[in-house]
Amino acid sequence: MLLFAKFRVVGHSMEPLIKSGETVLVSSVFYWFKKPKIGDIVAFRDKEAVLIKRITKVDKGKYFLEGDNKKDSLDSRKLGLISRDKILGEIIYRL
Amino acid sequence: MKIFKTFLNLLPEKIAYAHCDIPCGIYDPYVAQRAAHTILRMTQLLTELEENPSKEMAHKVARMTHVKEEHTDILEEELETLRNDYFKEEHFKAYPNLNSLFINALKSAAKARQEINMDAANETLAGVQGIAEIFFKTKNVTPIRVKSVYPTGGEIILHK
Repeated sequence: MLLFAKFRVVGHSMEPLIKSGETVLVSSVFYWFKKPKIGDIVAFRDKEAVLIKRITKVDKGKYFLEGDNKKDSLDSRKLGLISRDKILGEIIYRL
Repeated sequence: MKIFKTFLNLLPEKIAYAHCDIPCGIYDPYVAQRAAHTILRMTQLLTELEENPSKEMAHKVARMTHVKEEHTDILEEELETLRNDYFKEEHFKAYPNLNSLFINALKSAAKARQEINMDAANETLAGVQGIAEIFFKTKNVTPIRVKSVYPTGGEIILHK
């Protein structure tokens, strides 16, 4: 869980909304009061790396995350469902 | 708003990946070089145009400016891909001028976009060539400057 953290996004899987090289602000604060929902763009931990994707399905408390650029994204279609504890926070601001 | 901006500036920046499904590893500074030559060529043609405010001349200016805009978009995208996806921290450490080459090339490209400015167009090309040379060095091949076959008359960076 992150109170606030600034991330530089590397990769093209969230284009056209978020381009490679953009900086975003991530926070878990809103998730203290509500559950992550479909449409949210979240940062989550996958092994040692932090990835950014959008929630497209929720299945029994687990989250299916996909890149907006579906033709070119490594996401839940290969990684599988992501548990709540892996989600670090929501993207709340693009710098 | 000022407090918010100060707060954002104080936060340390980390990396988050928006991974592609196919990490193809295919990067090449050729497209950026071709775009830089096109910006230079359009600037040359716009400079050479007579100052004759006819409808035909306005049409030519519009078309040349459109091509210059398009190729500035291509150049910016190609440079961002090289900077964000190809070059790693160790490359920036090994070549301390690499970051400023990117900054200056993007700045002069913005100026070449905004104006009919030969200096800015030439500086853009020079910056892209500098980046291309470093790119090939990181690939352990020797970069060479050859005369391009373009009407700009400028050079292009290839490798042995």
